[in-house]
Amino acid sequence: MIEAQGLTKRYDEVVAVDGIDFAVERGETFGFLGPNGAGKSSTMRMIGTVSPVSGGTLRVLGRDPQADGPAIRQRLGVVPQEDNLDLELNVGENLQVYGRFFGLPRDVIARRTSELLDFVQLADRRDAKVDSLSGGMKRRLTIARALVATPELLLLDEPTTGLDPQARHALWDRLYRLKQEGVTLVLTTHYMDEAEQLCDRLVIMDRAKIVAEGSPRELIDRHVEREMVELRFGTQNGVPPLGDLGDHVEVLQDRIVIGAADGDAVVDAVHARGLRPDTVLVRRATLEDVFLRLTGRTLVD
Amino acid sequence: MAGRVVAVVGWHAQAYRRMWFGTMTVTFLNPIFFLLAMGVMLGTLVDRSNPDLDGLSYLEFVAPALLATTAMQTAASVTTFPVRAGLKWWRTYHAVVATPVRVHELVTGVVAWAGVRVGVAVTVFALVAAVAGAFVSPLAVLAPFAALLCGLAFAAVIAALSAWMKSDQYLAATYRFGLVPLFLFSGTFFPISQLPAWLEPLAWATPLWHGVELCRDLATGDVAAGATALHVGYLVVLVLVGLAIAVRGCGRELER
Repeated sequence: MIEAQGLTKRYDEVVAVDGIDFAVERGETFGFLGPNGAGKSSTMRMIGTVSPVSGGTLRVLGRDPQADGPAIRQRLGVVPQEDNLDLELNVGENLQVYGRFFGLPRDVIARRTSELLDFVQLADRRDAKVDSLSGGMKRRLTIARALVATPELLLLDEPTTGLDPQARHALWDRLYRLKQEGVTLVLTTHYMDEAEQLCDRLVIMDRAKIVAEGSPRELIDRHVEREMVELRFGTQNGVPPLGDLGDHVEVLQDRIVIGAADGDAVVDAVHARGLRPDTVLVRRATLEDVFLRLTGRTLVD
Repeated sequence: MAGRVVAVVGWHAQAYRRMWFGTMTVTFLNPIFFLLAMGVMLGTLVDRSNPDLDGLSYLEFVAPALLATTAMQTAASVTTFPVRAGLKWWRTYHAVVATPVRVHELVTGVVAWAGVRVGVAVTVFALVAAVAGAFVSPLAVLAPFAALLCGLAFAAVIAALSAWMKSDQYLAATYRFGLVPLFLFSGTFFPISQLPAWLEPLAWATPLWHGVELCRDLATGDVAAGATALHVGYLVVLVLVGLAIAVRGCGRELER
């Protein structure tokens, strides 16, 4: 569906995307993870054919975005990072007007509008003003709008940022349904649980480059230990040296994170040394650990 | 191509259905107020024998000009704030170019919609002015078309300004330092021959003067082929140049 080689995006002096390679297959859900400013949105905009490629090659649906933008966009649905619904139109009209941009005939638009409003659970809000919708409803409406022309490929740029847990889960359910229907999904996120829930395969981007690629499971197996032990010591006591206990030890301000195959064994060893941490947490490693290990813990902005 | 431009016009029409009432004053009432206050009331103070009026009553002099200014004002109302909203505030233009619609089709659609709004506004105004007896020549039936061309020229040029302006503050400046002086000094309320000699050439360069002259020549039946061709040519060039610059400006914002 998408093939990129050496894909690069430059804005004046800034290199937003620096020669990345990736491929997305039909029917899969593919994720771009990364801190803010890593180049995820720039990549999405190039795939969406609204941002000219500065270098490398990109094929979307087998076509060249530069030459065939409209033909590609005809088969593409885009859910942007910021909602850009038309506040002067009501819920149903937002879908109807959008369908016209794809050149759909009126009867098809009418049918799709009803189907999609049912799908995103907004059928009873059809005549409501967009302004009166909650954040989660607006996102769902934006997704419905992106689906109006039955796209083969749906691009979602941070689809659940700013939503409450209920709204996020409702949205994930909708996206999962689309995936089952065979729609190829490409999404960006900085929520690791979202990536684990939805993505078959993902890449982690950092400073304009891809730093890791694989399924969530593969990435965890490859880059971090099976379990994580988090020990918190009181600030005044400092963190005692425990570097020898696990396979990977990260010492933070008043906390220590130890990666090991057997977390409980690490905890026993800590206690055997007569140390009494304030809190002890043993958990399975997640994608978040991979992410932090690869992109660092420093705040990016 | 044409279908997508029509879809953009249809989008604006759909939105307008909910807000047309609020635009009534600017579109219809204000021009008619000016017609009454200036043409009829102030006009009683104007000496008809003044050679600059070419034997016209002041109402006959000012009404065709107000037809052109109505076109300008209506065009501005479609291409100032709404264009900024589409690009920056609500970002609806970004949603449009994510579909098969291309930037030049979007911009053409916006200017075409301005044309629809101008067309309705100048038609209503022309009917009122005709009833008030402001037109002396049967050629006045063509004046609304001249005003429409003037409106399209303004729509394209103002859309270009809105697309390129660095901050929203320039919107107010567009009105204060652009449209209001044009409204007052483009031969609308007095012939530009009354301007200081050094200002007169400046007035020739302004788009509104060409629109005013075109409408006035038609309304009074004083049509000369050369002057008409000049006015029409000037306004057509403005439409095309304005469109091209607006497309570049919107593209810079939408296709970064």
